[in-house]
Amino acid sequence: MKTRFLFPNWFRYLGLACFLVHIPIMLFFSKYHDMDSKASGLLSGPHVFFIFTTLMVTVGLFFFAFSKEKVEDEHIMQLRRDSLQWAVYFNYVVLIITLIFTEHIEMGHILMLNMWTLLLFFIFRFQWCIIRNNWSANKEV
Amino acid sequence: MKNNIRVERAIKNITQAELAEAVSVSRQTINTIESNKYVPSTILALKIAKVFGKTVEEIFLLEKED
Repeated sequence: MKTRFLFPNWFRYLGLACFLVHIPIMLFFSKYHDMDSKASGLLSGPHVFFIFTTLMVTVGLFFFAFSKEKVEDEHIMQLRRDSLQWAVYFNYVVLIITLIFTEHIEMGHILMLNMWTLLLFFIFRFQWCIIRNNWSANKEV
Repeated sequence: MKNNIRVERAIKNITQAELAEAVSVSRQTINTIESNKYVPSTILALKIAKVFGKTVEEIFLLEKED
C-alpha cells in the first residue's frame, strides 16, 4: 500500500536511539555543569545545550511516532488516524485543565510539555492498538 | 456488515496468514475483518472476493442497521 508522509521503518530505531541517548547526556551535564550560570544569548552554553537536548527528544519522538510499520495496510492507516485524533483531543483536555488549575506557572514550561504530550499520547494509543490486535490475532492460531 | 471469510477460508483450506499474503495486508487485519471489528475498503473487499473466486456480495453481507 502506498503511504505518504511517513518515514521508513528503520527511523523508528533512530528515533528511539535519539531519545535514549539524550538521557545520559542530560544526567552527565546537569551533574558537572552549572546550568543556571549567568551566561545568556543564543550561542551561550546553557542555551545551546537546552536546544540540543530538547530537539533530540522531540525529533526522536517524532521519528518513532511517524515511521512505517513493518506491514503497512489500510487498517494500520485507520488506526493511525484514529490515534492521532484521540491524541489531539486528549492533549487539549490536558492543556485546558493545566491552564485552569495551575497558578504562577511559567508558560514556557507548559509549552515545553505540550511539545511532547501530543506525540506521547499518539505513540501510546497507536502502539496499544497494535498490541491489542496482535493479541487477538495470536489467540486465533 | 458481516462476512463469511472464515467459512470461505475453511472451504478453500487456507490460513489467515495465507489469505493476508494473497491480498498483501497483515494477518492482524484479516483477523479484525473476520471478527467484524474492521470494515475493509472496496479495493480490499474485491481482492478478497477474487482470492475465493466469488463475487463481493457472496462474501460481504449488509446487516439491518447498515
